[in-house]
Amino acid sequence: MIVVAIDIGGTFTDLVGFDAKAGRFVEAKSLTTPRELTRGVLDCMRKSGLDAAAVDELIHGSTIAINTLIERTGAKTGLIVTSGTRDVYIVGRGNRPEAYNLFFHRHRPLVPRHLTCEVEERLTSAGDIFRPLNKASVAEACRTLAAAGVEAIAVCLLHSYVDPTHERTVGTMASAALPHAYLSLSHDILREYREFERLSTTVVNAYIGPRVGGYVKNLKSELAAAGFAGELSIMRSNGGVMTPEVATARPVAMMESGPVGGIIASARVGQKLGFANVISFDMGGTTAKTSLVRDGEPTLAPGYYVGGYASGHPVMLPMIDVIEVGAGGGSIAWTDDVGALKVGPRSAGADPGPICYRGGGSEPTITDANVALGRLDPHNFLGGELVLDAGAACAGIAHKIAKPLGMDAVAASQAILQIAIAKMALAVREVSVAKGYDPRDFALVASGGAGPLHVCAIARELHIPKVIVPLFPSHFSALGMLLADERHDFIRTFYCDLASLDFKALAAVHDEMAAEAKKALRHAERAAWQIALDLRYVGQEFTLPVPVTREAIKQADRQKIRAAFDALYEHRYAHQSPDEPVEMVNIRLAAIGKRPTLRFPKLAARKNAKPARRRSVYLGDSRQPLTCPVYQRGELGAGARIKGPALIEEHGTTTVLFAADRCTLAPSGELIIDVGGTR
Amino acid sequence: MKPPRHPEVRAKRASKGDGAQANKKPKKLDAVTLEVIRNALPAIANEMAADLQRTSYNMMIYEVRDFCTSLVNTRGELIAQNVGGVSHFVADLGVIVTDGLARYGAKGFAEGDVIITNHQAVAGQHLNNIVIYMPYFYKGELLLFAMVRAHWIDVGGMSTGFGAGPSVADPWLEGLQLDQLKIYQAGKRNETLYRVLKDNIRFPESSLGDMKSQMAACRLALRRMSELFDKYGRDTVLDAIAQIFAETERKCRNVVEKLKDGVYEAASFIDHDGVKRDERVPIHAKVSIDRGSMIIDLSRCSAERKAAINSRTYAAARVAYKALTGPLEPVNEGSFRALKVIIPEGSVMMARYPAPMAGWSVIVPTVVDTIIKALGPAMTDRVPAGHHGLLGGSIVFFGVHPQTKRRFVVQSIEGGGWGGRPAEDGESATVSVCQGDVRNASIEGIELKCPVIIERRALRIDSGGAGKHRGGLGLDTCVRNLVDGRWNFDHPRREQCPPWGLWGGQPGSHGDFLLRLPGENDFRSMEAPHYPVPVDAEVIVRTGGGGGWGNPLERDAASVRNDVIEQLVSRRVAAETYGVVLRDDLTLDEAATAARRNALRSAAKRGSGQ
Repeated sequence: MIVVAIDIGGTFTDLVGFDAKAGRFVEAKSLTTPRELTRGVLDCMRKSGLDAAAVDELIHGSTIAINTLIERTGAKTGLIVTSGTRDVYIVGRGNRPEAYNLFFHRHRPLVPRHLTCEVEERLTSAGDIFRPLNKASVAEACRTLAAAGVEAIAVCLLHSYVDPTHERTVGTMASAALPHAYLSLSHDILREYREFERLSTTVVNAYIGPRVGGYVKNLKSELAAAGFAGELSIMRSNGGVMTPEVATARPVAMMESGPVGGIIASARVGQKLGFANVISFDMGGTTAKTSLVRDGEPTLAPGYYVGGYASGHPVMLPMIDVIEVGAGGGSIAWTDDVGALKVGPRSAGADPGPICYRGGGSEPTITDANVALGRLDPHNFLGGELVLDAGAACAGIAHKIAKPLGMDAVAASQAILQIAIAKMALAVREVSVAKGYDPRDFALVASGGAGPLHVCAIARELHIPKVIVPLFPSHFSALGMLLADERHDFIRTFYCDLASLDFKALAAVHDEMAAEAKKALRHAERAAWQIALDLRYVGQEFTLPVPVTREAIKQADRQKIRAAFDALYEHRYAHQSPDEPVEMVNIRLAAIGKRPTLRFPKLAARKNAKPARRRSVYLGDSRQPLTCPVYQRGELGAGARIKGPALIEEHGTTTVLFAADRCTLAPSGELIIDVGGTR
Repeated sequence: MKPPRHPEVRAKRASKGDGAQANKKPKKLDAVTLEVIRNALPAIANEMAADLQRTSYNMMIYEVRDFCTSLVNTRGELIAQNVGGVSHFVADLGVIVTDGLARYGAKGFAEGDVIITNHQAVAGQHLNNIVIYMPYFYKGELLLFAMVRAHWIDVGGMSTGFGAGPSVADPWLEGLQLDQLKIYQAGKRNETLYRVLKDNIRFPESSLGDMKSQMAACRLALRRMSELFDKYGRDTVLDAIAQIFAETERKCRNVVEKLKDGVYEAASFIDHDGVKRDERVPIHAKVSIDRGSMIIDLSRCSAERKAAINSRTYAAARVAYKALTGPLEPVNEGSFRALKVIIPEGSVMMARYPAPMAGWSVIVPTVVDTIIKALGPAMTDRVPAGHHGLLGGSIVFFGVHPQTKRRFVVQSIEGGGWGGRPAEDGESATVSVCQGDVRNASIEGIELKCPVIIERRALRIDSGGAGKHRGGLGLDTCVRNLVDGRWNFDHPRREQCPPWGLWGGQPGSHGDFLLRLPGENDFRSMEAPHYPVPVDAEVIVRTGGGGGWGNPLERDAASVRNDVIEQLVSRRVAAETYGVVLRDDLTLDEAATAARRNALRSAAKRGSGQ
């Protein structure tokens, strides 16, 4: 069996394939072709040397959905809402997250006001009909949208999460009137209360729907033309994959699939090595991203804002919870108007890039600091494809940073890295300590071109005792896609006191959701199910998802559910109120279609490791360079032990070991590092 | 949860201090340590805020974000504060610490103490704003306080929710007054005080739940501070704080130094104070700029009133200054060192106890706007036209549900229009300058909890002031009640001084409260606290629009046309005010537009006597 994952990133399209029979990995990289994304995919296939006809499964992650939204190249979209709510989308929550900014702006709507039509109907929050649906008003709305020539329609009626009958009728009439328009009904996308957030999610889906749908269709046919006859899956933001059909109906679910692959891979690699609790740390060119994995499961956030909280579009679908900070290899170091040293969030990107790339960049970056300190080998970067200019990096740092701050270039380079490390450590704290988890109970998994360079320093900062540098750290997202299960998340608002919860009704709702899930699953027979109830103390707004079983619902085990909530609350917020009434707001269901586990090959044992050469490197804050052994990762065998200080180089990245760090090669090839100076 | 294990103690010079804050001679710190501590402090305040919000029991905290979380040293200097919530809480907890230290003495605090206070003689705000704070000791030395001020849904008195409007004549009518009381002493709860609280507020489970959340947020801050002090040592952290203050001050001065020195003035007013209806409440700002320093003098604002719109606060001046000097930077004591604020004792904003303060903040956004307007000529590229200027636009409807017998309060803050800006139109339906990440309540969320139907939440056509850059639109939110109850109609009182235009822009339209009883045809304007209404009444909460920036005749005709298509501006106003003539199919009639604009220009010239 041959499984292939292809991940389109901002700069590169990465491929990782695994031939289970031969026990062999294949990797390839090609430049992303933003105008013609499918070409990048096919280029990568060709480069890998794989025969498309021999591939059994292909998993694909793409930036198409997010780019369509950010570049605003989606469909001309119309919106149908309950009368009186035409402006809910424009008004949003009326807030100004940047409290002192007189020039703030909120999300820029994807649907103009004149293409937002009201229909006469109204439900109460209990789902009772307060005003019946006036079909003449629906027909009128359809006429308006047809006359305007819309290509997509979103429908979001108040309280449709309780009873979608009206919304369905509107949908039926709209597709009859505009048969070619792409249609999204809010209850299909998100069956949860809060009209603005549900509406925004539905509009985003409709807006990107035609383009993403076309892309998926095109990809399928081009792959078929190349001979591919296997199963195609699309990566989604919740860490799972879905069929092309689900992706076409719910493209909004693939919006943030980019960073997700690396987190899935971190979870799987950690588990395989006996670390069920890991924190993934992925540092690329412009940002560093971190996420927490507990008991082998990535943490999900209930929603997010595309474009940032202040001015972005809310998309309330589960997404793997990632904290992102503006610290990547290309992040620029600068001094502000009072002489404080700052790093990021501005990035030199790939063009012009860091000074040492000689692409015209003049602002010192994190990569320049690494080159200046000798941690990156100018002649062995990307396997020697790009020769770096260390002299220019040093001169740039001396001129822009060292001189204004009254230090030398080495000290300035060290300061740049320390500030970047402190920033990234704060991000790792945010996913762990801030949520009640002690980072010392986790292993840190490093990926991305710049991750392994900095990971040991970050781990030391947070007293994290173990670091893992996996195989393919610079193709890690694609590797994660190779390992991802199929996953579908469902939610229903089901509002009531826990004390009077009607478990029979809840079980019925659950079964309805499960039936829907079975329709979406490709391999329903392999499915695992996760149920959670969103609970809170009466009077609160924010809920915690409390995992329950189908059995607990069937047995109406109120006490057990209650106790689980109190315990979870205690863990998260360090206090609880066991005497106060609790209410339920939503039920969540995740259907996980397990994909067969891939058995990766073992590395041949070779206990002694020989450095390929030695190089002069500045490590830590030492003022003196060390002569440091440099190992080639490809030459290391299982069981090899390396004592820091040392550098381990491979294509695309370098792992830096400091004096107290100790590295062992796992039987499957990962670098496992005992971080010195932690406790 | 496991108790957090503290990172290794690496204090290099853990000297015994005398309780003074910064050291006598601050050592020049290395750039890295300074930057790390600079980032860590606001992160602690923000983490406090996130936890408070997620665990609180009332929408004033979790949606309106009517709270602040802060670290304040023993000199009353602000070390860090959360960002994003209600802006008029900026740096206003120092006086509480100074007063608490005067009360208990530097040796009068112990670990585990929790102090509760809202007394207006010092706090100067409505009594709902309850401050909870805890002392922080490092190796036995009192170094700072972790503090959370948050709006409790009820503090007793004659009305729930947002106090009872301007007619509350004194603090005793408003509610419980708590004057620097220890609700916990060295970790032990004062049961008597706790019972007094519990028995004298309407929603004890909510407010005491919020108190628990406030305390948890403070404890979180104390743990984080311990980690920081353990890692860097007492002196380094304190030196860094002093240096952060100095650098923040420098940054603000850098902005103000670019402005032309001089004295700038502006005036405005509120129609009346809600009690004495035949008298305006004057607002006046005099801003002097002198080589990087700014003096904001509010001496010519109204004296304190019998109506409950008084306060003791520098908020208006500070919010304006912050917005103009460093809107996106974290706040600390240094943010305001280059600013001098003059407000004489006895002013409406420096009122003397027991002047009533139930509606303490309602005039503040208009004062902020007036200060910003004064600076218009000094910073033409940074000053927008006037915004709706209302904290309210608020829905406050309450009662007891006849079936469940539970009390309910419908609350939401509805936004209004913002003024046109030097390069773009104003935002519509957005909360005031004193409110940051303050969110309206969702229609579905309100209806899940309360027996009302929100019939409409709609922008009002033509409510934004005309201008080259149009003012944002105000909002009509219409609420139908399904059970009887009481409304607070706290009228905005900006009819005669609507949100002003700038540089030839026109004013935005004002806000209102409108009521229609069952069987009536028309809505009528209302102003009354806890006004009883029967089932099926309808109320429109109307917010004002923003003023226009620049002459409307200079607005790009295509933008005017687009506003007409979007139904933000009527065809009539497009023609009459903007001079843009559209045909019936809404295409632009260029010839008619040119003629119309010329005619309007000449009429304006004649009108101004030129």
